[in-house]
Amino acid sequence: MLKKILLFLVVAGVLGAGIGYYMFNKKVPSMASEKSEVAIDAAQLYQEFETDEAAASAKYVGKIVAVSGAVLESSTLEDGTPKVLLDTGSDFGVSCEFDPNTKHAKTTFAPGEKLTLKGECAGINLDVQLARCVVVE
Amino acid sequence: MKNRMVILGVFLAFGFCAQAQKYFTRDARVQFNSDTPVEKIEAVNKSGTSVLDTKTGRMDWKVLIKNFLFEKALMQEHFNENYMESTKYPNATFKGSITNLSDVNFAKDGTYKVTAKGTMTIHGVEQEISVPGTLTVGGGMVKVTADFVVKPADYKIDIPGVVRDNIAKEIAVTIDASLKPMGK
Repeated sequence: MLKKILLFLVVAGVLGAGIGYYMFNKKVPSMASEKSEVAIDAAQLYQEFETDEAAASAKYVGKIVAVSGAVLESSTLEDGTPKVLLDTGSDFGVSCEFDPNTKHAKTTFAPGEKLTLKGECAGINLDVQLARCVVVE
Repeated sequence: MKNRMVILGVFLAFGFCAQAQKYFTRDARVQFNSDTPVEKIEAVNKSGTSVLDTKTGRMDWKVLIKNFLFEKALMQEHFNENYMESTKYPNATFKGSITNLSDVNFAKDGTYKVTAKGTMTIHGVEQEISVPGTLTVGGGMVKVTADFVVKPADYKIDIPGVVRDNIAKEIAVTIDASLKPMGK
């Protein structure tokens, strides 16, 4: 009996350590596998942040948001990260930095092209910024 | 006639460069490293904003905390939820000025050592800091690089006892940004 209990404890311990190790080393998942919680127009999202940053932050920061709009600028950073700026009709836009943990089918877009991108809303920093974005088909 | 147009174009281009007063970027790279014998933690933000006024030497920097990318999911989660409380304090800022502006000639390509002095706000806590950096003027752009140290304790970032050995007391921060004349 004692042997069985000991064996159980050892197995449970090893399993626990294994799960702990797995959780500890788990990579940030691809945005493609995450569900968006809100769908909104780029102009409206920007407008909400511009009108009341605190209220919009409470509503959107940390949420996975699907944003639709027309491309104002499509660029690639020195390290290869693609970025898309969606037009909001004002001086600033909705800036979407592409997810490093996803293979993107398309990373450059023509100005004016209509697009829906999904990413985690980070807040407003001149533009409203979305982190880890993927294109929504 | 064609030559004259070229000369005029060159003059206009130079005039524009010399007159550009404000430089700007929305792609500033801000990276930090926490290095301890137990664990190496690294995160990068590629969407920092920076505005530099070359007449007054004023500089404004801002990064959104949620835009720091980590390799491991748990680190990103702990950083946002436990340490930086990024829903409560969504950004970090530096507002300051270059103290030795007269050493920099924005009209002449070259590398200039500068010191920026001002207020750093992280985790809702303000600290007066002075940071050495380098400005590289060239190709109509101003490249800004800087390395400095941030102590989590200075910004009331509480690291619990269990992981105290995993997170460095001094976090090394690297800034790398290429600023373009404002108004493109």
